[in-house]
Order: sequence, then structure tokens, then C-alpha cells
Amino acid sequence: MTEKDIPPGSIHISKRAIATIAYQAARTSYGVVGLAAKNLVAGLSNVIVKDPTHGVEVHYDGNEINIDVYIIIEYGTRIKSVASSVGNTIRYHVERALGIPVNQVNVHVQGLRVSETD
Amino acid sequence: MSHQDIQTRHSQKIAQSFRGKPLDGAALKNLIEAGLTWLRTNQQLVNSLNVFPVPDGDTGTNMVLTMQSAFDEISLSPERNFGKMMHAVAHGALMGARGNSGVILSQLWRGFARAVDNIEVLDGPTFVQALANARDTAYKGVVRPVEGTILTVAKDAAQAAEEALTQTNDPLTILEYVVRAADASVQRTPELLPVLKEAGVVDSGGKGLFFILEGMLRFAYGQPLEAPTATIQPLGAMKLAELEEVIEPGQDFEVIVDFRPSSPLDIEGFYRTLETMGTSIQVGEGDGIYRLHIHVPTEKLYEPLTYTQSLGIVTKAAIENLIAQMEENQGSPKGTGLSLAPVEPNQIAVVAVSPGPGIARVFASLGVAAIVEGGQTMNPSTQEIINAFENLPTDKIIILPNNKNIILAAQSAAEMTVKKVAVVPSKSVPQGLSAMLRLVPHGDFEEVVRDMIEALDQVETGEITIATRDVEIDGVQTKAGQVIALHNGQLVAASDTLEEACLRLLKIAHADHFELITLFYGADVSKQEVNRIADIIRSNYREQEVEIQEGGQPHYHFIISIE
Repeated sequence: MTEKDIPPGSIHISKRAIATIAYQAARTSYGVVGLAAKNLVAGLSNVIVKDPTHGVEVHYDGNEINIDVYIIIEYGTRIKSVASSVGNTIRYHVERALGIPVNQVNVHVQGLRVSETD
Repeated sequence: MSHQDIQTRHSQKIAQSFRGKPLDGAALKNLIEAGLTWLRTNQQLVNSLNVFPVPDGDTGTNMVLTMQSAFDEISLSPERNFGKMMHAVAHGALMGARGNSGVILSQLWRGFARAVDNIEVLDGPTFVQALANARDTAYKGVVRPVEGTILTVAKDAAQAAEEALTQTNDPLTILEYVVRAADASVQRTPELLPVLKEAGVVDSGGKGLFFILEGMLRFAYGQPLEAPTATIQPLGAMKLAELEEVIEPGQDFEVIVDFRPSSPLDIEGFYRTLETMGTSIQVGEGDGIYRLHIHVPTEKLYEPLTYTQSLGIVTKAAIENLIAQMEENQGSPKGTGLSLAPVEPNQIAVVAVSPGPGIARVFASLGVAAIVEGGQTMNPSTQEIINAFENLPTDKIIILPNNKNIILAAQSAAEMTVKKVAVVPSKSVPQGLSAMLRLVPHGDFEEVVRDMIEALDQVETGEITIATRDVEIDGVQTKAGQVIALHNGQLVAASDTLEEACLRLLKIAHADHFELITLFYGADVSKQEVNRIADIIRSNYREQEVEIQEGGQPHYHFIISIE
């Protein structure tokens, strides 16, 4: 859990909440046609439960927020540009919503979707 | 000018420069280069529309680099086949796609290219089909398309092309419709995307796409591509406050008019007309509203209003008398909102050098008549110090330099004026404040100066800052980046934390023998951090009063006064 002291109490933000922000940011990011589970087992469970954080992992070690996102990119786009845009967009939206800096956003390109061949 | 007039005028121009030339690979090369050139000319404007401060660069720059890569791919190609040339463009754009907008742009070209496979010469229907395909390909590249962006502009442009096809088969005439639709679409983006409306701008990527298309059309008309038509900026980016400081003769009034033109504004003609009225012209645009800022002489006061009224509906107008405003501002430093002590003839007036706005306010509250901005890394010049007191209506001036590096400049300022000036050589802000408490404005000049100098030694000064390099002074070893503490200008401690540096400083200064500890916190420390450290100090110095004041000084986290 992420904690930030406010007098006279404190605020708790769950990893899941952060993951939801990242998920939404990734989905509206150009070139991203889907988010993918990290592995098959998680993928199967996600098919059963429609998860708003599917393909996003948030790590918090008491100090730093690190986000891993697993995406599918449209075939025919420049993967490097799309991936770095996704990373920047996620960082921007999460930092703006939380007011806490994000240490790392790791973008994993899990696959490409071919809708039209050149 | 009616719609029909624009049509005829444009068609004539096309006839002149593109007569008899087929839209083949060579023509495409020219058009791509024109789009790139016009976009580059307007690159800064597009950059200024950025709303998201994401670090992957500015939209205008990204789109220019993407287009540059597309053009590089074809610049040396002798290809005459339109379709083959278009594929090369798409390939170049793909390879050089930078940022979000660049990627979308490359997808538009890719979709366009696929629809013109092996087409020798582009005709109207194929052009329209290709624009539709460009739109579809671009929309496929994202799960949830955001409207009010370059995607929307591409969609509206394709739509306009389809409608134009019912009127004409000529690709360049269709391009006219496309450019006009893209322009209108860009203007509508704030309606679709609230973040744009909040920032008072149109979408940057959409605007970039518009410039590429417009550049092609301008080339076809034989219009120049190197110089921007006029500088129009987003409303949010207009910096009107800065303009007011440079007032030249003939600029008696500042007029700001918001208006909504009833037909698209002819920017070049608009600027030319304005130049006959006045100077400092700035035009901002956002959400269909234009904001005009101009400085005019008295006799032309109402001309900007009458003129904009002839162009459309004036929604708001403001007129300010610059001369009167300037006279009011005399003597008070710009923009700090300080209430400095009024000065009566023959009284003693004090000029203080202040490293930060908070400290300036404290000095003002103690009766300082003028403030000069300056500190450790920004020493004011002798002239700046003279300027501060030269216009005060008294001949008796005392200067508080508040920094040992500024004492010399203050002394030369004292020598370079006919006024009676004394420098009370305060080496720090706490010394200056301590001296200030002894000021008797109507007292005997020599006596007051003597008193103030005496007060300098009755306060201990602490300063907390960050070491910029590894060094050993006075037996204290520090590493770059460490927090260091200075007591009356001497390095006394180095530490890894702010609180430890503060505590060690207070110990060395024998704060427990004094009554009041005042912390002036700098621009680099948060209020929370200040409160935390103040609490630590309070728990260690229960007998002493600990006060916190916003200093606003750069570099120094704390300036500490111990008295």
C-alpha cells in the first residue's frame, strides 16, 4: 500500500486503483490495440473475470512505485515510438492523479495484431 | 468575400502553377516537401499548443521529424509512379515516426498508400478513396480512439473529400475542400476534448496535420511556404503582462479586444491593417475567439474596436491608459505587490537588497522604502542600487546590502550620487533585519547609521545550503550534494540531512543563550518539510521561541536568525 501522511489521518491508495489509472491511460494511447496478461494462468482467470487492471502490474516497496504493463501493438506502427508513448502517457496520468512520482514504467510488448498486411 | 469568390480565386491560382501537370510521383514529391516545409515554418506554433507535459517531445517537432524522414526517403527518387512514391513516403514516415502524433501520421500515410497501389497518376475518386482508407487505418491503431485529436481532423477531412466528389473530380479542388474542413475541424477540437478547452487551445496534432495539408495547397497556389503568415498563438500562451513593461512613445493606450469573426480571418490582411493603427500587436486564438492586443496612440484609440467590429462580433474589450498606469507604478518594484513605506521629503529612507520575495515582504513591513532583488548568486549592479533610491523624494539614504558580496556595489552606489548615502554593511538578511529595527526615519542621520551598524553584531546568522563541490574549509569536510551549515559566513558543519545540519548549527551558535530563532525558508523547501524541521528544533530548544517566515530565496534552504 502507498501511504501519504495528512493531518490528522492518512491516505491509502491501493495498487489496484493505480493499475486502473494505468490501464485506462494505456487503452487510449495510440498504437495500443490491447493489453495482455503476463502469463497464461493470469490470462485465463482474466477471461473469466472482466478485470479493469488486466495487463498491468503495480509494485510498491514502501518507497517507489514501479509499473509493468503488457500490451499488444498494431502491426505496422513503429513499436519503439508506440511503447515509449505508452510509458510516458501512463506516467503522466498516474502522477497527475496521485501527486506522487512514479519511479519506473516498464512496457512489455507481448504481441502484434495484424489487421491489414502491406 | 463569398464562398464562390474564394473558389474562383483559388482555381485561377492552381491553373497558373499546376496547369497540365499530372499528379504523378514527381508532383507528390513536391507536395510532400511543401507539407513538410509549411509544417516546419509553423512548428513552434504547434509546439505551443501542447497540453500534456509528457517528456517525449513537442508535437510540432515530432511531426516535423516524422515528415522529414518521409521526405528523405523520396528526395532523391526519380520515381514517376504515384503509388510507388506514396509507398516510399509511408515507409519513410513509419521508420521515422516520433511520438504519438508522429505514429498516427505514419499510419495515415500507410493507409493512404495502400489505396493507391500502383496508381500512375492520382485522380479525384482515388484521392477520396485513399483519404478514407487513411482514416480507417489510423482509427484501427487504438483501442479507444480519443476524439478532438488528429484522428478527428483526419476523419472530418475524409468526410469533406467525399462530399466534394459530388461537385468535382479535380484532386486539387478536392484538396481545397479538405484543407477548409481540416481547419474547421481543428477549431472544433476543444468542444470534443475538455482538456483543450480548459487550456484554451486547439489540438496540436490536428493543427499539425492541417499545416501539412495547407502547405500542399499553398504550394499548388504558388504561395510562399517559408514565412509564417502571422504569429497567432493559443490564448493560454499569450504573455500580455510582459508586454506592458516596454512602453514606447506613441503607445498611449493598451487595447485588448476579444472577437468572433463572422468568416475565416484573412490573417495577413488583418495584420497589415493593424500595423497602420499601432504597435505591440499580438493575436491569440482559441475556440473560435480571437484576442487582439495592441498599443495605440490616443488619436487612434477606437480604431481597433471599429475594425474588429467590421469583421465579426466583439465579445469583450478592455482599454487601459498606459501612461497613467506607468506613472502609478513608478517607485514600486514590478509585480511583487509589496506595500513599501511611503517616503516624506527629508526623512531617512532605507534601500534593502533582498534575495527572495518573502524576505522582501518582511523588510517592507519593517518600513523599507525600496527593494533591490539580489543575493548570493545574483548580485545587483551598482546601477540597479542607484535606480532604487534615485527617485525617492529624500536625500538621506541608507543601504542594507544583506550579503557580503554586495557591500562593495552598495559602497560604489553611495559614491556615485549627490544624495547623502550611508551603507550599513549587513552581511546577511538577519543582520539587515536587526539593523532595520533601529531605524528612526526622522532621527539624526549619523546617529541612526551608527545605531544600525551597532545592531549588526547583535544577531547570529545561520545559513543552510547544499555544497556544490567536494571541499575542506575550516576543518570541515564536505562532499558535493551534502547539506552544509554556515554560521556568520563560516562553514561549520556538513551533514546528510537538513535537520541535522540545522541542529548542529544552532548548537555551535549557542542558540540556547538567545531568545528567538527565526527560520526564513527558501524556495526549494516545502512547507511540510519546514514544519517538520521547526518541530524538531522546538523540541530541542524549549526555552526559545521558534518562528517560521517564508523567505522565498533560491539556493538557501534556510536563513536562520538567532537573537
